[in-house]
Amino acid sequence: MSQEATCSAASSSIANETVGQVVDRGPISLGRILTNRWFLHTVSIVAFFWLWDWLARSNVLGAGSSVLARPHEVLEQLAVLTREELAELTLWGHVWASTQRVVIGFSIAAAIAVPLGLFMALNRYVNAIVKPLFDLLKPMPPISWISISILWFGIGETSKVFIIVLGTFVPCLLNAYNGVRLVEPELYDVVRMLGGKRRDEILHVCFPASFPAIFAGLQISLSIAWTCVLAAELVSARSGMGYIIVQGMNLSQPAMVIGGMAVIAAAAWGTTLLVTALERKLCPWKRKIVGL
Amino acid sequence: MTAYREVVVRTPLALKILPIVSVATFFIAWEIVVRTGVVPDTMLAAPTTVTQLLFDKFTNMDPDGALLHQHAWVSIQEAFGGYFLALAVGLPLGLAMGWFNVAEGLARPIFEIIRPIPPVAWIPLTIFWFGIGLPGKIFIIWLGGLVPCVINAYVGVKMTNPTLIQMARTYGASDWQIFRQLCIPSALPMVFGALQIALACCWTNLVAAELLAADAGLGFMITMGRRLAMPEMVVLGMFMVGLTGAFIGVIIDRVEKRLLAGIRR
Repeated sequence: MSQEATCSAASSSIANETVGQVVDRGPISLGRILTNRWFLHTVSIVAFFWLWDWLARSNVLGAGSSVLARPHEVLEQLAVLTREELAELTLWGHVWASTQRVVIGFSIAAAIAVPLGLFMALNRYVNAIVKPLFDLLKPMPPISWISISILWFGIGETSKVFIIVLGTFVPCLLNAYNGVRLVEPELYDVVRMLGGKRRDEILHVCFPASFPAIFAGLQISLSIAWTCVLAAELVSARSGMGYIIVQGMNLSQPAMVIGGMAVIAAAAWGTTLLVTALERKLCPWKRKIVGL
Repeated sequence: MTAYREVVVRTPLALKILPIVSVATFFIAWEIVVRTGVVPDTMLAAPTTVTQLLFDKFTNMDPDGALLHQHAWVSIQEAFGGYFLALAVGLPLGLAMGWFNVAEGLARPIFEIIRPIPPVAWIPLTIFWFGIGLPGKIFIIWLGGLVPCVINAYVGVKMTNPTLIQMARTYGASDWQIFRQLCIPSALPMVFGALQIALACCWTNLVAAELLAADAGLGFMITMGRRLAMPEMVVLGMFMVGLTGAFIGVIIDRVEKRLLAGIRR
């Protein structure tokens, strides 16, 4: 943030605000290198892995090697898992098992919840019937349904998909509902002024204007879906990434546990990117919000 | 003659009755389905049975070894421990990341590594590290609450009106002054949004933590209900979790309204 540096400012405007993008072209100095973003990122990542390695080597967290694995041990463990089978599946098989559950549950929930949310926002009678039931079930965390779903469906695929559907249902529906309710009323006025009917309002205003909110809901749902599938697999499963983690816990192999965590993080990250790409494609009119 | 007439908006009677009817139908249908044996009572308990158990649990320790309010108290302790730790770490970190380049440069990569890992995945490691006691559960809940705190505080600072920052600079404000007197107040609504989101996350993770490793608490009660094949205990546990979570949410909402009175959202 050195103000002395010569600046060349390019400006872009969002709505009617002018946002300056300042490019510093000052002389290279030690201070500037030290506060460079990429330099700091590198420092932080190196420090993170070094600290992890040190903690694992020095047994600060507890006696024995079964508390934390060193980073390269985790990589080796993952490599072993891709070659050797654990419960008749290699690493890819487990990844696929979890992903399948997430995709099925997520699709079912989105297919029901989004139209229902839109419908609730558009028709107040539907809203009056569904909203109280929804409010009743909403505060129960999806994970608390695991026990009852095991009582209902046993420990097979159905109970896991059921948990994911329940967990992803809530944000999908809420966001679709709020997306329509928070549409700017001026937009309706425009359609009415141009002689549009109720159908035109819904088709040309409600749907496009609520798209960004719906996609935000889908993103939240996805991360919840991964949490749910993991929780369900931790409680009872014969396959999936949660199973790898549980096996690692039972065998006291932290390398396997951390490997499973890394893979699930990568998978969750991948699906998030996929939805973001889809969103860019489907609703380019969404204003880009700077942030995480 | 007055210039305008007061507009009276009438809600149709049907709109007032329908919510009550829908909830009532739900409970009655549930009761009937269980009573008539369409769903066997090993799978689902009727609402009346659940209510009976609710009153019974206040005085009867069997079969899970604690009274209902003891379970609830254990859960609330864990949840609040993790929640306040998450606020204490996450909010300052997020605010600093939003304004100071050095803080963002250092903290962002680590945050991005930790963020996509569901907190539930940490449970086995936590058991290795802390055992199944209170610290382990607080750690899981803390992880769950941390992410929304950081994100909301960060976005809150980033959304500060750039014109105001430029004006402050023109008047010679230092970075620290801008951060303290401009960025933090303008991030407040987002920060309070984080309080609610983080609470919901904490509460979800609490149940997860207790499902896997606990000897008391509402999540433990649900698990015991399943192990003993007592669906009424499972349902009671679920309702208590929902009810307590909703109750805490309402309290935070009240506090938020009180503190933020006058700030436009």
